[in-house]
Amino acid sequence: MALGVVGLLVLLLLIVVVVAIVLALRHRLAFKIGIRNVARARGRTVLLVLGLLVATMIVSGSLVVGDTVNQVSVHYTVLAVGYNDEVIGNQSPSGAYVPFPYSVYTDVASGTAGNPDIAGMAPEIVGSISVFDRTSGVPQANLNLVGVNANQSTQLGDFVANNGSVVVGPAPGEVILDDLAASEMNASTGDELVLYGAGATPMASVVQAVVQDNIRGAFPTGGLGNFGSVFVDLATAQQLTNLSGAINFLSVTNVGDQANRLALAPAVSATLNATLMKIPAAAGLTVDQLLVNSLASASSSASSLTALFLVLGLFAIVAGALLIVGIFVLLAEERKGEMGVLRAIGLKGRELVYSFFFEGIVYAAGSALAGTALGVGVGYGLVYAFTALYHVSGLPGNAILDSFTVTNASLVEAYVIGFLLTLVTVVIASRRASRLNIVRAIRDIPEPPPTLRAYTFLAYLGGAVLVLGALLYATTYAGTIDDSYPILAGALIILGVALIASRFVRNRLAFSAAGVALLVWGGYLPLRLALLGTSHGISTFDVFVIGLVLVGGALLLFSFNASSIATALTRLAGGRSQQAPVALIALSYPARKTSRTVISLAIFALVIFVLVAIAAVGSTVTASLNNTLQEESGGYTFVAYSSTPIPNLPTLVASNATLAPYFDAVVPLGYAGMYVDVPGYAYNPYSDSVYVAPANASAEASFYDTNQYTFQSTLGGMSAAAVMAELRTTPNVAVVDNTYSSVPTNLAGTTTSHPKVNAGGSLTIINPANGNRTSVTVLGIMTQALVTGVFVSPPTAAALGSFPAEQFFLKVPSGASASRAAQLAKTAFFPYGFVILDIADLLASSIAPTEGIIGLLQVFVALGLVVGIAALGIVALRAVVERRREIGMLRANGFTQRMVLRAFFLEYTFVTLVGIGIGTALGLLVVWDRTQSPAAAASGTSVFAAPWLTLGLILLLAYGLAMLAVAQPSLRAARMPPAEAVRPTE
Amino acid sequence: MSAAAPTAPATGTPGEPVVVGRDVWKIYGRGDTEVTALRAINITIPRGEMLAVMGPSGSGKTTFLNCFSGLDDVSRGQIQLEGVDIQSMDDRTKSEYRARRVGFVFQSYNLLPVLSAVENVEMPLLIAGVPGREARERARSMLRDLGLGDRFDHKPSELSGGQQQRVSLARALVGRPAIVWADEPTGNLDEEDSRQVTALLRQLNQTYRQTIVIVTHDPSVASACDRTVRMRDGQLVE
Repeated sequence: MALGVVGLLVLLLLIVVVVAIVLALRHRLAFKIGIRNVARARGRTVLLVLGLLVATMIVSGSLVVGDTVNQVSVHYTVLAVGYNDEVIGNQSPSGAYVPFPYSVYTDVASGTAGNPDIAGMAPEIVGSISVFDRTSGVPQANLNLVGVNANQSTQLGDFVANNGSVVVGPAPGEVILDDLAASEMNASTGDELVLYGAGATPMASVVQAVVQDNIRGAFPTGGLGNFGSVFVDLATAQQLTNLSGAINFLSVTNVGDQANRLALAPAVSATLNATLMKIPAAAGLTVDQLLVNSLASASSSASSLTALFLVLGLFAIVAGALLIVGIFVLLAEERKGEMGVLRAIGLKGRELVYSFFFEGIVYAAGSALAGTALGVGVGYGLVYAFTALYHVSGLPGNAILDSFTVTNASLVEAYVIGFLLTLVTVVIASRRASRLNIVRAIRDIPEPPPTLRAYTFLAYLGGAVLVLGALLYATTYAGTIDDSYPILAGALIILGVALIASRFVRNRLAFSAAGVALLVWGGYLPLRLALLGTSHGISTFDVFVIGLVLVGGALLLFSFNASSIATALTRLAGGRSQQAPVALIALSYPARKTSRTVISLAIFALVIFVLVAIAAVGSTVTASLNNTLQEESGGYTFVAYSSTPIPNLPTLVASNATLAPYFDAVVPLGYAGMYVDVPGYAYNPYSDSVYVAPANASAEASFYDTNQYTFQSTLGGMSAAAVMAELRTTPNVAVVDNTYSSVPTNLAGTTTSHPKVNAGGSLTIINPANGNRTSVTVLGIMTQALVTGVFVSPPTAAALGSFPAEQFFLKVPSGASASRAAQLAKTAFFPYGFVILDIADLLASSIAPTEGIIGLLQVFVALGLVVGIAALGIVALRAVVERRREIGMLRANGFTQRMVLRAFFLEYTFVTLVGIGIGTALGLLVVWDRTQSPAAAASGTSVFAAPWLTLGLILLLAYGLAMLAVAQPSLRAARMPPAEAVRPTE
Repeated sequence: MSAAAPTAPATGTPGEPVVVGRDVWKIYGRGDTEVTALRAINITIPRGEMLAVMGPSGSGKTTFLNCFSGLDDVSRGQIQLEGVDIQSMDDRTKSEYRARRVGFVFQSYNLLPVLSAVENVEMPLLIAGVPGREARERARSMLRDLGLGDRFDHKPSELSGGQQQRVSLARALVGRPAIVWADEPTGNLDEEDSRQVTALLRQLNQTYRQTIVIVTHDPSVASACDRTVRMRDGQLVE
């Protein structure tokens, strides 16, 4: 696919080059004019290239970030999967691997003997284990257990110690720890350990070696934490898990390098499946193409991140395109006189376009090259910043920076996209410029106002836009399609109506009304919900479309009322006599030369809009954390689980004088992994966790009395208390976590592969251990998605089978130390494999990557400010040249140098602040709007928080840099000698 | 077109010297590129005089206007305007002096295209610190005096050349300056507009008793003036 895109782009580039050569041969004069225009002012050419390269730089930067993320994902996926190209096993609903006879391994090995595609296979036990390091005195539960014989696992690759040496093992009776497990226990080589397997006698052992993380595969078996892996020989693992003569995992490695192994996976997988069919003891076992599937998943995650950067980068790209238009419009105005003369002596209008085309090709080629190179630098900067500021769980500190990658495909894509974007924009701008009236151009007379004929043409154009919008709306307003399409359709309808109306009423009325309508359409969610419903999907592209609609509306409103705004502001300033003429001059130019003002405003407003929106999303997520914590925690401090059931934990805690003061609620939950059959779900049955709380526990141990869970929806609008009362006693009822909701919370995410159900709907729960099945009515969908699964009533649980007490909620009284409480509980119940997790920490860590991405996105999008600043600088430079005589006249009439300087600064302050104001207001509006939506209310992100500090920084940065950009031209204007300025010729 | 009575005449005694130049030189560039634009100019212009400065292209007429009006510095010599040596003024003082005591008319009008006629005319008053409301009223009054009472809100691009020059005249005169400097005020106008503008300048000179110095090629403009001086190679030859 990537090759296809690159190939297509290269083809397009070649077509442009061939067309350019043919045109240059056929229109040599235009070619000569175009090329000489490039060469005649080198300083200006450099300035133009700098202005034009920004869009390419944004594209290039996005692609480089994508390359790097992809490389990180692939690299660490390959490391994590190791040489487990295919695995044979049977995962139960709880995620544990079901044991099968060791003979399956020997049968598969003999059945595939001689297969040239298979390098080898390793029989293993994979599970979980608790370990006490007697040397360091530190216990750790829930470590990954990997049992494999050293002589059977050579094809899985070497164990590598941190000093780089190869470790042969695991030796019988000894264990190899990976870095993560060793650090959790503060363990090192030679430490004496006690290993606690599920229900088996504890075994003494010694650390043979500590090896690097993720080598030979880390096998997290699910649960809320991964604390590292413990490698033992197969016999030891069988002893620890009471699985004598059995294994539960068969790893298969293909021959060759990674590419070859990937290519062979389907064929080997087919061979293995065929072999398993012939082995009776292998019933229920499946072949998972682990390497292929893991790489596909990693690649998909990387693509999503690249897409996010590109979509948000679109604002800067649009701003860059506007800058290109602005530059060429100014260039055309500057050359109006000479173009008029060229037309007068017989050059055709088309030839003028060609001359711009040839000139544009040179600029596009140069700026795309520079932009692509700078984009690589930008990408590196972002990756460096991310590495310095954020740590990604599970990856070594410098993993991302070390994986910095630039692919040739990305360089080609960035170059060609940047080149074509620049060229197309230049050609469009040139066509407009070439349609000049020869006499007016030569004499520098302003263009007359549009004729009635022009308005009639606009009305027909409006009709076409209206029909296009109506068609798009009719086909997209209902259903689950991404709602950016109907939003765009609505905007087209509004613009179409305005264009038609401009034929009959004053422009100001028609387009001001259209501006207001666009603002309401893009910014007033209840209207969109009323017209479009709530079934539409949401995508990042929404933000882009809504941003364009809102900014477009605000700019229409401003540009058609700019004179009135300027007059009002001038009157305000008129009270101070010295300010009055300065204000009149400063505000008159942007208010009455609206086309270039609107380009500058649009650039600033678009970039600031997305910057503010991203910042507001970040602050809203953070502000919602307390709200989210309350909803996700159910009022509990910890969620805990044990590898061995603890039937009387509340009593054990209450009777322990040290522990008791630290807990005012200890709630046991019975847990079992089961199948859930949901009507209408395509992949029934779904494996999920099922919980039950005892009905008759004491008040401090009763889930029904102590939980403060809230519900997104309940059957018949029942209260939370009523739902809990029903759940305590009524047969065949249940509540489900929020991942079952069709409007999921932020924690639940948008997992389309998860079954969905409504309050009042029914589920069938099947216990795979005994085949019991029962249907339940869903009383409510919880707001929380931290503890995922189905909570059934005690009578329902009794009908399904046994539910050992392996999951717990604990609550610490206010004033007590949560960390001390966790430490004490962990030590006291270590023999049960007790793992205790702080819910607040879990939530904070769950939003940490989001905050990291938000920070990076802000830096990335802020690059768009370069566009705005460049635009203002170029406009200001041009203004000094254009207004030379006007500045001279003002100086002749008594304007001091300082007044000229103040007028220039005030003018660009006005433009900058209006752009920043529009962008800021609309960015905040969009996020506020979202927090008012039903989905936000349901997900606990309805607490809007304006990011005041970030807003202040954005304002200072944008305004400060803009003023720096206009400082030099403004000073030049102020210092212009009046006698020189008033001269009729330059 | 009729000029209304001024609310106050230009200050000063008629006939007293308002512009005095002594041995004024203006030299551009250095070494091989040195060009002497003004050579030892000595001139006295009395208050209320309407003076024409004529001469061929490149003779130094515009340089004369720029230097004597304070827009440009001289290389040597002394210029006094209303008894004050303009060489001793800094840029700010010079700007303030121009705002209160000097008016300019240019060949290419030099109107601000983004301002309406009345806004262009009120600009010197605002610069001189006249309150906005009064400035607007005086600008309107001046435009009415010059026959542009129905063109207050028109932009320069919506006016003919003659009308633009009359707006330019209104701008130069609205502050009742002591001296009006006009650089080829009829250079861009047709014969009829040229005749009207010249008559208008003469009428305003007589009505407001303002000193008007006109740089021109046009003998008909010169013939309307009290005195004509001629320049050649940077020198006054008459």
